[in-house]
Amino acid sequence: MANRPILGLFEKADDAADAGDALKSAGVDQKDYDFLTDAPYPEGAFGERHESHRLYIFPFVGALIGLTVGVMLTSMTQMAYPLVQGGKPILALPPMAVVTYESTMLTAIIFTIIGIIFESRLPSFKKGLYDTRITEGYIGVLVNVEEDQLNQTQTLLTQAGAIDVVRQSGGSAA
Amino acid sequence: MAASEIHGHGQHAGMWVFPDATVISQDISAKTRSMPKPFTIALAVTGILFILGVVGFVARAADSGFDEIAPWGYYMAMFSMVFMVTSAAPLAAVAFRFTKSHWRRPLSRVSELFSIIGILNVAMFIPLMLVLPSLDNPAGVVEGQLELRRTIWIEGPIGAPLAWDFLGVLFLALTSMAILWVSAMPDMAESRDTATGFRGWVYRRLSSNWYGTKRQWNAQKAGLALLGAFYFMIMIFVHFEISSDYAQSLIPGWKDSIFPVIYSVTSIQMALGAILITMFIMRRWGGYEGYYGKAPFWSASKVLLGVTLLWIYHLFAFFITFWYGRMEVEQNIIKYLITDTYAIVFLVNLVFTFVAPFVILIWNPVRRSAWGPSLAGLLALIGGLAFNIRIFVGSANAAPGAKLYDSFMEHVPAPVYPDVWDVFMVIGGISAAIFIYLAASKLLPLLSLWEVKEGTMYQKWGKLFRGEYLILAKPE
Repeated sequence: MANRPILGLFEKADDAADAGDALKSAGVDQKDYDFLTDAPYPEGAFGERHESHRLYIFPFVGALIGLTVGVMLTSMTQMAYPLVQGGKPILALPPMAVVTYESTMLTAIIFTIIGIIFESRLPSFKKGLYDTRITEGYIGVLVNVEEDQLNQTQTLLTQAGAIDVVRQSGGSAA
Repeated sequence: MAASEIHGHGQHAGMWVFPDATVISQDISAKTRSMPKPFTIALAVTGILFILGVVGFVARAADSGFDEIAPWGYYMAMFSMVFMVTSAAPLAAVAFRFTKSHWRRPLSRVSELFSIIGILNVAMFIPLMLVLPSLDNPAGVVEGQLELRRTIWIEGPIGAPLAWDFLGVLFLALTSMAILWVSAMPDMAESRDTATGFRGWVYRRLSSNWYGTKRQWNAQKAGLALLGAFYFMIMIFVHFEISSDYAQSLIPGWKDSIFPVIYSVTSIQMALGAILITMFIMRRWGGYEGYYGKAPFWSASKVLLGVTLLWIYHLFAFFITFWYGRMEVEQNIIKYLITDTYAIVFLVNLVFTFVAPFVILIWNPVRRSAWGPSLAGLLALIGGLAFNIRIFVGSANAAPGAKLYDSFMEHVPAPVYPDVWDVFMVIGGISAAIFIYLAASKLLPLLSLWEVKEGTMYQKWGKLFRGEYLILAKPE
């Protein structure tokens, strides 16, 4: 059976954390629920799972590609047009530094932007379940459960102190 | 409940503000949508002056063409002025975010919004690519002249200098706009369902799938840190390129490792000044008093004072090396840029960039006000304009024609005064930047909503010992 989303809205952070505890106790996998907020709450404020990301790999890979391209471009140019400047060797690092630095930076930046898009799961053409009251400071607890567990999840959220529970159809469920 | 509570006692009265997180979005959204009469007038005036600048540019192009760099000296000065302010401004958001300070929260978006003007920088840079003289001496090997003029592109690698300069300016703009996008995404997501027209269209496209999950907040935080680090690294580099290719390398024999640093320090000082002026205007007349307390002015004023002192230190280091060096070219450069040809412009530069801001900022009560640091910022901008005229008009006219390939500048040239088209271009270019900023402030809020809301969680006005003070939480 396909999972369906249900969103509980909480006025207080403590109540949202309680809802998280209740879902965990009810056997809902931690990957199946998330806390939606209008500002970044401190790590562990809701007793939520640790969310790791691999964003740091992206600029590293990008920088490596840019560095390689820069070194190749400058060294191959110097070898193709061997001009002696100021008595310095044909292949010297200082004249390569400017172009190599710039190419490294440019590719690192491009890969960072790609990384942010990928790690934030942006963009998406499918609209998710959301409630604009979250922008007023309410905390959303978004749960993805099988359709036959929706009512039970709704009860859990309400008992934890949800002021409203919203389902995919758009209307309030509580 | 009021949108904000203002606290602080004694000499710290009004220092800290505590906005109500539940009404910030609504209140700021209304402020962003509104078009008060003074704002509309400012938009119209800067728009008209922008058109005047375009007229000046077209007239200059028709008059002088793009073969010689000399007639474009004032255009270069104007480009550099706008570029220096707008390239360094986003750095304030980046740098103060790194320090995890709370006072910077209201300042972040004001500084990030300068990124939009990066589009103008890229557009204005294109004519400068056309007028930059070739690295190779067109006359080939000539006795007494260089075959390849002295630049940072020692052996003239592929694409140097134009392609690399352009890529630098372009990526600087793109990176700053990426920072703005990542930072403003949560704020745009808040209003994407309610905003209408062009604003709604932009919000829906640029914030799709942002719901404020833990994963998204973590990726945003790491993304801003990484992009910020890269922005700083590329900004300093592009400053190095522009100050070398469009200033130093155009004065034969000018070899100075301190000048790119002076350029970056002046740029940071001007940018901080522009941010403080913007915040002062919005606080005084824009209805943001409840969001911009005096704390950001007070804290930023200390940074401004530090940068002001750094500026005079680097200027002195440059001067003393050339003055004691006493080589003919060093004496000629000092005469040209400091003591003779552009002496009055240098004096204006010195007074407005160092003397006046220093005299204002050393006073504690002035630093603790909103007007004091903003006034110092305004003076720094005037000084910065004089700096750009002195350096770029001077560089463009130092060695006309084949003299550019001489080993050093043998004679001190006469000053070049602006004609009517130059005046149009300088005023028009600066107005264009202001026009774009004003228009952008109606698209994106002038307050980083998520950042200010986050701040409300960690800052309280509470009792400690027998008094009431600002109490801070530091989760990291």
